[in-house]
Amino acid sequence: MDLYRLGIKFFDVAGERIEPTEFIPIFHEWIQKQTIENHLLIDVHNYSHIHDGPGILLVAHQGNFSIERADDRIGLLYYRKQPVQTFTEIIKPAVQGCRLLENDARLRPRLRFRTDEVLIVANDRLLAPNDDETFSALEPQVSSALNHVLGKSFGLTRISDDSKERLIIRAQA
Amino acid sequence: MPTWKEKLVGRMDQQLAEEIDIFETQMVLRRQGKLDEKIFAETRLRRGCYGQRYDNGHRHDGIRTQQLPYLSDVTKGPETLWDAPGMQRIKIPFGGVTPNQLDTLADLAEEYADSVLHVTTRQDFQLHYVHIEDTPDLMRRLAAVGITTREACGNSVRNVTACPLAGVCRSEVFDVTPYAKACSKFLLGHPDTQGFGRKFKIAFSGCKDEACALTSMHDMGCIAVKRIENGKERRGFELYVGGGLGAVPHQAKLFEEFLPAEELLPIAQAISRVFARLGEKKNRAAARIKFLVTKLGIEEFRRIVLEERKIMPADDRWTGYLSNVDRYQETPKRQPARLNGHDRPEGFEAWSRTNVYAQRQAGYAVVTVTLPLGDLSASQSRQLAKIARRFSGDNIRTTVEQNIVLRWISEADLPDLYRELKRIGLAQPGAGTIVDVTACPGTDTCKLGIASSRGLAAEIRNRLSEKFFTLEDAVKNLHIKISGCFNSCGQHHIADLGFYGTSRTIGNRKVPHFQVVLGGKWQQNAAAYGLAIGTVPSKRIPEVVELLTERYVRERSGNENFQEFVKRIGKPELRRMLELFMDVPSFESDPSYYSDWGDPRVFTIGDLGMGECAGEVVSTVQFDLANAERLVFESQLKLDEEDYAEADALAYKAMLQAAIALVRTEFHDVPDHPNTIVNEFRTRFYDTNVLGDRYAGNKFAQYLFRRHEAPTSVYTRDYAHRIVEEAQLFIEAVYACHDSLSERGTVGISAKSPVQVGKATP
Ligand code: HEM
Ligand code: SF4
Repeated sequence: MDLYRLGIKFFDVAGERIEPTEFIPIFHEWIQKQTIENHLLIDVHNYSHIHDGPGILLVAHQGNFSIERADDRIGLLYYRKQPVQTFTEIIKPAVQGCRLLENDARLRPRLRFRTDEVLIVANDRLLAPNDDETFSALEPQVSSALNHVLGKSFGLTRISDDSKERLIIRAQA
Repeated sequence: MPTWKEKLVGRMDQQLAEEIDIFETQMVLRRQGKLDEKIFAETRLRRGCYGQRYDNGHRHDGIRTQQLPYLSDVTKGPETLWDAPGMQRIKIPFGGVTPNQLDTLADLAEEYADSVLHVTTRQDFQLHYVHIEDTPDLMRRLAAVGITTREACGNSVRNVTACPLAGVCRSEVFDVTPYAKACSKFLLGHPDTQGFGRKFKIAFSGCKDEACALTSMHDMGCIAVKRIENGKERRGFELYVGGGLGAVPHQAKLFEEFLPAEELLPIAQAISRVFARLGEKKNRAAARIKFLVTKLGIEEFRRIVLEERKIMPADDRWTGYLSNVDRYQETPKRQPARLNGHDRPEGFEAWSRTNVYAQRQAGYAVVTVTLPLGDLSASQSRQLAKIARRFSGDNIRTTVEQNIVLRWISEADLPDLYRELKRIGLAQPGAGTIVDVTACPGTDTCKLGIASSRGLAAEIRNRLSEKFFTLEDAVKNLHIKISGCFNSCGQHHIADLGFYGTSRTIGNRKVPHFQVVLGGKWQQNAAAYGLAIGTVPSKRIPEVVELLTERYVRERSGNENFQEFVKRIGKPELRRMLELFMDVPSFESDPSYYSDWGDPRVFTIGDLGMGECAGEVVSTVQFDLANAERLVFESQLKLDEEDYAEADALAYKAMLQAAIALVRTEFHDVPDHPNTIVNEFRTRFYDTNVLGDRYAGNKFAQYLFRRHEAPTSVYTRDYAHRIVEEAQLFIEAVYACHDSLSERGTVGISAKSPVQVGKATP
């Protein structure tokens, strides 16, 4: 697969107040245990001082995880940084991250991720410009990968056609 | 698959595009083990690619040191793994950026880094966690919007900085922007700036009294001055040399009270040549030009530079730009208008008190966009670009206080601009005040960081912001600057309250500390450095700030400033104040002291890596020869592609490159022309049998001569194959010759001898 710079965001539904810094020790613990499959976890970065930024960032060789609150919707965003064979390799680590957070005693039951809505971000302006053609090309692969990992079928829509923005797809079950 | 290289053809400056292709080839060579790791390290540093913390593959995770199992053990420098993410510094001369450039920076931050843009203490941008494989495309995309990363790091001329108010300032003598721009362009990649033993930093200031450009702490500082001569006004610079922070800070020395503008570039070049030739090369800790100036004394240094100036071949570029200087101007986006009865949103007044500066040009203002810790997100950058397009045009600059300013804002637009900035979370008040804390990257990403400068900065900022509106003006106007170690990238020496990270051992554990440095003078271009008073555990520094500022407010006499206050109170008393905070409880009774701000891991200094503050000292010959090898490699590729003519051309170019490498050791200014190179090479190394001395070098020289004198017109595979092999052998011979000269200590014995130290020429 040529295109691998993709992001996927899962949203919280619990809507409880959680301080961004609460994620810092949790991410450090993931590094200690190297918890995420097929990932070399490297470091944690606190960006919570940036409005609309990546919040708390967990850096891995294969991709970055962050707890961010763009558009006031807190969620887990995973950006792939290394090549993959299939889209499922991009969805799976994000799903694993969500599960780990939901089940972490320090956060339970204040955080719950919905699996009926996700955002897919094509983070590659060369291979995936924000146009209908890219969307049509990606749609079948993305929906089948989501279906495969999450066991649901999704309807996909493009969020914006501003050519300066990246192609962002909302997937709803 | 489409590539950026193809897509951007025609949109990149040809030379930038070629340099990036070359860098990409050097990456291939390094991965194949054909380019020495030290040379590659300095090569990548000179393209702005820095190492980042943990890139040696070790990281303490709070319990133990993990070996990070990267797949490949290829290195991109000593103890620096290829696959480990790194930092990319992006050079922004005088801090000038346009909305289009901001958009591109935002795109790059998203695709190749962590979606954050960081503004540095020298007006640059930095991206973190970048994979080296992505850097050529990253550079191409920058090149397409007119930005280069060349010489952003390494032993080179770093970003040329200037006051962010240049051109619109009420107290400047004249606008230094076009001079800073010309200087930056002229020295970039200049052959005379390639052989430094250390970095070289230049700053331009429009006046003497304000702080903006910090000329006194620069290797070369230029302050605008005017003179009337024969009834005519002349522009020039008060020129300073040999300033610098670091572990041993030096105030720059006056080199010339009035250097006419026409002499700016030639003198900068002459200083570079002297620094390259006489500056320390072995001991990195004493290699900045400040040590050379101190060693020689400013008088002698000046004499040598002026002698050098006399023997330099003339260059049209020295004055070529001057005819355009008067025409240099910025175009405002909007008409000037006063802010009169306009509706003012909540928070506007407080914000405009600290973040708005009335320009010299009536009806216009400069707005400071405060960036906490110098950071802004990619989406903020893109929106800021939009805002700038609407209100400011191309007139954006970064500042050494790690902020961004929008210039040429029509005053009547200020309320609307404020609303827009607020919408994207960039309307915090307090620019240039005590809450606007400056910090180096520190332990977050720097390999040399000892304590968390950014963690501490965030903590102080949060605490002070809460009570900002109740602070006395005298306190509000203080500056806090923090470095993660003594190297002082956060410029702690020139703050009212400066801090740099250290570590202390308590029991058998390490505790993060900060040395407290008080009373530095930021004003008058960083006129004085602060005093180190004592070391306090990191977790208690915010209380130190509180106590010192409270006492200052309580006890200051009249308009006494902080430096005067510090002097009057005296070091022993200040030390006594700090002693209240120096005790460290045992780990068992309070473990919080044993971890750093924002990092729950038990504190360690075991993660310190080898610093790349400049990288390896690689001589110009080594670079030239590595270049020759790259050319042979490229000719080999052409041979494989059956493009024999191109293989021949490249092999020939490689031989010329190797020859000039050797010639330059004796004849620095040898013109880069094939006939001259071959002639000089022949007379200096062939006829004298210097090359033939070992390994039958003279035989190999014949290859160059033959190719030079009798190029073929029929390109066969056999012919191309032979010439590629010959080029390789010739380069080997040059290497051998250079090694043997170095061993005998006779490199650079020149027919045209350079100016000697301590010997005045008649
Ligand atoms: C022995 C090694 C180093 C020394 C002595 C050193 C010294 C300095 C000094 C004195 C400055 C300050 C400002 C100035 O002169 O205008 C500076 C700037 C800076 N340093 Fe360092 N530094 C070293 C290594 C590093 C490293 C390893 C990093 C982290 C990657 C780093 C990051 C920075 C940054 C971000 C700036 C602002 C820079 C710019 O845009 O040029 N430094 N350095
Ligand atoms: S001051 Fe020290 S910790 Fe901070 S960036 Fe410089 S070398 Fe790194």
